Amino acid sequence: MTNNSENKKGIGGMIDPRRYGIERIAYLLMRLSGLGLLVYFIAHIYETSKILQGQFGWNEMIASTQTTHGHIILAIIIGMCVFHTVNGIRVMLGHGGVGVGTPTRPDYPYSPASQNIKHKIGIYSAIILAAIAMMYGLAVMFGELK
Amino acid sequence: MRESIIMKIHYGSALAAVGLVAVHILMRLTQGYAESLEYANVIRNYHFLPYAGMLEIILILLSIHGFIGLRVILLELKQGRIYEKVISYSCFIAMIGLITYGTRTIIMVNMG
Repeated sequence: MTNNSENKKGIGGMIDPRRYGIERIAYLLMRLSGLGLLVYFIAHIYETSKILQGQFGWNEMIASTQTTHGHIILAIIIGMCVFHTVNGIRVMLGHGGVGVGTPTRPDYPYSPASQNIKHKIGIYSAIILAAIAMMYGLAVMFGELK
Repeated sequence: MRESIIMKIHYGSALAAVGLVAVHILMRLTQGYAESLEYANVIRNYHFLPYAGMLEIILILLSIHGFIGLRVILLELKQGRIYEKVISYSCFIAMIGLITYGTRTIIMVNMG
């Protein structure tokens, strides 16, 4: 059995977004946003359990989140949520064969049919929508919008 | 369980959660962000049975989706029979733990 341990780059290889275009960056952002949202979800379940401590416990918890830092963290969570949702729908459609092109004979210059403009637009749309949602969220949290 | 079935559960739970989370967020925005987080208002939300039921469904769907996603990431990093079993069972136990903890909050507040 050949030793191929040198091919295992581990977490360093997984988080390296270079050389493979926007699809690779979307892959990285999808995992980062997923992990961030899972951490937030666990924290959210914990923070909402403070309501069992009555009005004092709840108000204390709310006061600790209603700060500039708290609003900025929540805006990042909103951005991650929107990106993860929109890009996730793109990935699901791709897995279902939507927008990945039809199989053809591989001819030079071997451009992969699945990495086409439709999916690139999907990725850029996810990033733009996430940015818009973050700005809207910040406006609501800082009281600019009701 | 076959990986294809796990991925179908992963995608299904995501799609279902998107709609319900949208309702959950809209509830915060329809009455003003700060007012919606007031103690009396949150208690009223929990006492409204359809909303409490929706929170429970969101809790289950997002726990399933989140921990299957974590499992996928960890299995992409490293493979191996024992490693995969440890990751799968750990994620399952963590998922059950989170659902139990969240359900406890919902039931205790709903029961008043």
